[in-house]
Amino acid sequence: MADSFSTIGKSVQRVDAVEKATGMAKYGPDIRLDRMLHAKLLRSPYAHARVKSIDLSRAVRLPGVKAIATIQEVPKVVGYWFFLRTENKKKQMFLLDNILRFIGDPILAVAAEDEMTAQEALSLVHVEYEILPPLFDPLEAMEQEEVRIHRRGNIAFEVKKAYGNIDDGFRDADIIIENVYHTSKQKHATLEPIGTCVAHFHPNGKLTVYSSTQLPHWIRVYLANALGLTVNKVRIVKPYTGGSFGGRCGVAHGLEVMCSWLSRKSGRPVRMSFTREEDFIGTETRHPMTIRIKTGATREGILTANDISIVADVGAYGTQYIGVLADCLSTGVGLYKTPHIRFSATAVFTNKSLAGAFRGYGNPQMNFAQESQVDMIADKLRMDPLEVRLKNYRPLGEIDPVLNEVIRSNGLRECLQKGAASFGWKEKVRKGADTGVRKRGVGLAVMLHGTGAARALPDPASATVMINPDGTVNLVTAAADDGQGNRTVLAQIASEVLGIDFDRISVSDTDTDATPLDCGTHGSRQTYSGGLAVKAAAEKAREKILGFASKELQRKADDLLIRDGIVSERGNAAVSISVSDLMRKTQIEDMGLCEQVIASSSGIAPAMPGIYGACFVEVEVDTETGEVRVLKLTGAYDVGRAIHPDSVRGQITGGGVMGMGWALTEDLLIKEGRVLNSNFADYRLLRSCDVPELEAIIVESNEPTGPFGAKGIGEAGMVCVASAVTNAIYHATGVRIKDLPATPEKILGGLKGKVM
Amino acid sequence: MAKVHISIRVNGTRHELAVEPWERLVDVLRDRLRLTGTKVGCGEGECGACTVNMDGKAVLSCLLLAATVDGSEILTIEGVQQGSELHPLQEAFVRESAIQCGYCTPGMIMAAHALLQREPSPTEQEVRTALANNLCRCTGYEKPVKAILACAKAMGEEHHG
Repeated sequence: MADSFSTIGKSVQRVDAVEKATGMAKYGPDIRLDRMLHAKLLRSPYAHARVKSIDLSRAVRLPGVKAIATIQEVPKVVGYWFFLRTENKKKQMFLLDNILRFIGDPILAVAAEDEMTAQEALSLVHVEYEILPPLFDPLEAMEQEEVRIHRRGNIAFEVKKAYGNIDDGFRDADIIIENVYHTSKQKHATLEPIGTCVAHFHPNGKLTVYSSTQLPHWIRVYLANALGLTVNKVRIVKPYTGGSFGGRCGVAHGLEVMCSWLSRKSGRPVRMSFTREEDFIGTETRHPMTIRIKTGATREGILTANDISIVADVGAYGTQYIGVLADCLSTGVGLYKTPHIRFSATAVFTNKSLAGAFRGYGNPQMNFAQESQVDMIADKLRMDPLEVRLKNYRPLGEIDPVLNEVIRSNGLRECLQKGAASFGWKEKVRKGADTGVRKRGVGLAVMLHGTGAARALPDPASATVMINPDGTVNLVTAAADDGQGNRTVLAQIASEVLGIDFDRISVSDTDTDATPLDCGTHGSRQTYSGGLAVKAAAEKAREKILGFASKELQRKADDLLIRDGIVSERGNAAVSISVSDLMRKTQIEDMGLCEQVIASSSGIAPAMPGIYGACFVEVEVDTETGEVRVLKLTGAYDVGRAIHPDSVRGQITGGGVMGMGWALTEDLLIKEGRVLNSNFADYRLLRSCDVPELEAIIVESNEPTGPFGAKGIGEAGMVCVASAVTNAIYHATGVRIKDLPATPEKILGGLKGKVM
Repeated sequence: MAKVHISIRVNGTRHELAVEPWERLVDVLRDRLRLTGTKVGCGEGECGACTVNMDGKAVLSCLLLAATVDGSEILTIEGVQQGSELHPLQEAFVRESAIQCGYCTPGMIMAAHALLQREPSPTEQEVRTALANNLCRCTGYEKPVKAILACAKAMGEEHHG
C-alpha cells in the first residue's frame, strides 16, 4: 500500500530547511521594527511579597524612558484555553493584583529607546514591599491554612478517580509493592530562549504581536481579553521558532501582555527579549511530582491493582495542571489493563517559578513511577520485564477507560518485539551485569501518550487550500511549526490528496490575520489534527477541480483522477488536461467565470488516538564515581503511519536525549526560592559527546481515524526514556533510583546502603 | 567611554566601525550589520549558537569584545554560500534532515566548517568533539553528526575524483 503513495512516507526536503541552513530564517529575536522601543522587566527579589508602593519619579525622568507599566494595571494570564469555554471560567484566566509569588515574578516593565536605558531605569525605581512568609514545599503548602499563595488557598486542583475496587485488587495480588517517587523540575531549555516579543499597537487601534507562541490563535483571544479589544483587532504573527516542547504553550509570564500594554502607552513598537537567565528563572517548567504508588500483581505477573496518589508542584501560577494530571491518569489507567485502580492527585501552589506544559505533559512523571514498579514486580517474580509488559498492556479493541474510547490502533507488541530484536535485549538481559568497577546493565520501559485533545479541550484545526492559475497550490494553515516539521508534513498530505507534486505546494506563514482558527501545536497533534483538516480541505478542492475537468473533458467527475498534476480519465490517459491548463482556463481565460478553486475545512478531530512505544537502554555505571554513561538507546514507536520518516526519527532521537537528560542531569535547583543553576554551565544538558548510538524504529499500526493512518509522535519519544534508564541502572548495580535525576551522589549513596 | 575604531572583514566585505568598548562581536554582526543568521542562545559561551569563524577558527562571538577583533577576517553563516549555491555543509544538513528548529544550525555549520578546514576527513568522534560546544535540544545530535560525516566524505571524493 505504502508504495502507491507519491509523497506520503518519503522524507522529502523540508519546506523550511534551506531558510534555516542559510541563516535567512527570521526568529523572534531577529525581528526589528522602525522606531522600536526596548523593554526590560523589574522582577521580584522576594519569593512572596506584597507591593505596597512603587515610586517611579526618578525612572520617568531618565532621558530615553518612554513608558512604564506595572502589575497594578496589567493583568497576568494564569489559565489556559480550557477556561475560554464560558464567560465565567474566562474571568479566572486573568489576575490583577499586587502580590509577588516567586523570585523573578514581574513587578513592572520599562520601555526605552534602548535596552541599556531600560535597564538603568529599573535601578531608579523604588519599590516598597511587605514581605510575606514563603512556602516552598508542596506538602507543607497543602496543609497550610495561615499563609495563602492565592486567595482561594494553596490547592490549585484536586481529582479522585476509581476503576474497579481497589480492595479486591489487592486481595487478588500475590505480591504488593509500595514506593514513593520524586521527579525534578526540568526546563525546556529551547535553544531560542523563551520570551521574545515585539508588539505594535497601531494608531488605527489594531495590535500586531510577533510571538513565538505555540498557540497563535488562542493567544490572540487571550490578548484581546486582557487588553479589552475585539479579536479581529489583534494579529499574532509567529516567526520561525527555536524549539518549544510545551514551553511556549500560551503567553510567556509577563511578556506579550506587558509588551502590548507598553506599546499602547507609548504609541511605538515595543520589543522585550528575555535573557537565558530570565528564561530559567521566570518561565514555565515541568511539574515536579511526588508519586506514592502501591501496585499488586499475581505470581504470574498479572497486574491486579494500582493505588496512585500524586502531589504536583505547580509553582506560583499554574496554567495547565488540570491537563497535566489528566495525562498522569492516562498513563496510570490506560496503558495496562489493571482492573482495580484508585487515583488521587493534588496540584499545589508554592512560591517557586511556575510549572506548565512540557513534552509528555504528566505522562513522563507517572511513567517513571509506574514503569519502576512494573520492573520491580518482574524482578521479584524473576520474570523478563518484557514478558510482564506483553502480559499486561491494553491491546487493540479494548476500551481505554480514561479516553472512554475503543483502541483502534496499538502497535506496542510490535514496538517491543522489533525494539528487543534490534537492541539485542534477550542476550543482554541474561548476561551477568558485573564487569568490574564499571557495571553494565539494560532496562526497558513502555509508554502511552494521546494524540491531541479532542473533546478534552477546545481543539480546533482548520486549513484552506487555494489552487493558483498555474496549478500550484497555496496551503493556508496556522499549524504552528516549532521545528518538528509539521508544515512539511501538512504539505505532503495536501500533495497526496490533490495529486499535485509536493514541490508545487507552498505553505503559508503563521499569521492569524490570514489563516483560519487552529488551536496550534500541543499534544503531538499537528500531523493528526492538522493533517485531518488539510486532508478534508484538499479533498474538497480536488472535487472542485474534477468538477471543472468534467465539463472540460466531457466525462463524469467520478471517472476522472488527478495524478502528477494531470487530470485524466481512469484507464484512458488520452483524455486528459493538466491542472495548470485547467486552472488557467477557469481563472483567467474564461472571463465569464474567473473562479479560483478554494476549499476550507474546520473542526475537531474524531478521537485522541494513543501513541505507544518502547525504549531500551544500556548503561554503564562507574561504581567508584557513581557516573552513568548510556551506551545505547533504542526507541520503537507506533506512529500509525510515518508521513515524513526522517522527522519521526528526529523526534525519537531528540526525545531520547531529552529523556536521558531528565534521567541523569537536568534539575532546576531552587534553594529558599532562588534558582541556583540558571545557566547552561550549571543546568547541564547532554552534549554531542555524551550521547550514545541512538536507534529509532518506526512501527506503523495504521490508525483508522488518522490522515493516511497517521497519529502523533512529538512528545512520545521522551515519555519512558528516564524509566528505561533507571531500570537499566538497577539491572547494572542493584540500586533503585526513585528520585530523579540519577546523580552520581544518589547512585553512590545507593551503593553504600546496599549489601553488595 | 570613547568608542574604539576597528576594521574587520566580514564575509569578504571590509567594515570600518566605531564600536562601544562593551559591544560584543555578536552585537556588531547582528545589530550593526544585520547578519542575524548568527544566533544568541545564552550570551555566556555555553550553547554555541553564536559560533562564527574568525581567521578560519570557530569562535564564540558572544564572548569576544568587538574592540579586540580589529584586523580579523570573520565568516558567518551568511558568507559560506557560494552565490546561489549552497555550501556542501548546508546541502548535507538539508539533505540529511539534520535541521529541526534550526536555531543551533548556523552555529553547528560554522563549527563544522572550521573542523573540515582543519581536518577534511574527521572520524565520528572528532565530529562529536568539534560539536561539543554546540547545544541542540531537538535532534539528539544524530543527524547533524551524520550530515557532517556525509559532507566530508562527499567533499573528499570530489577532491580525489
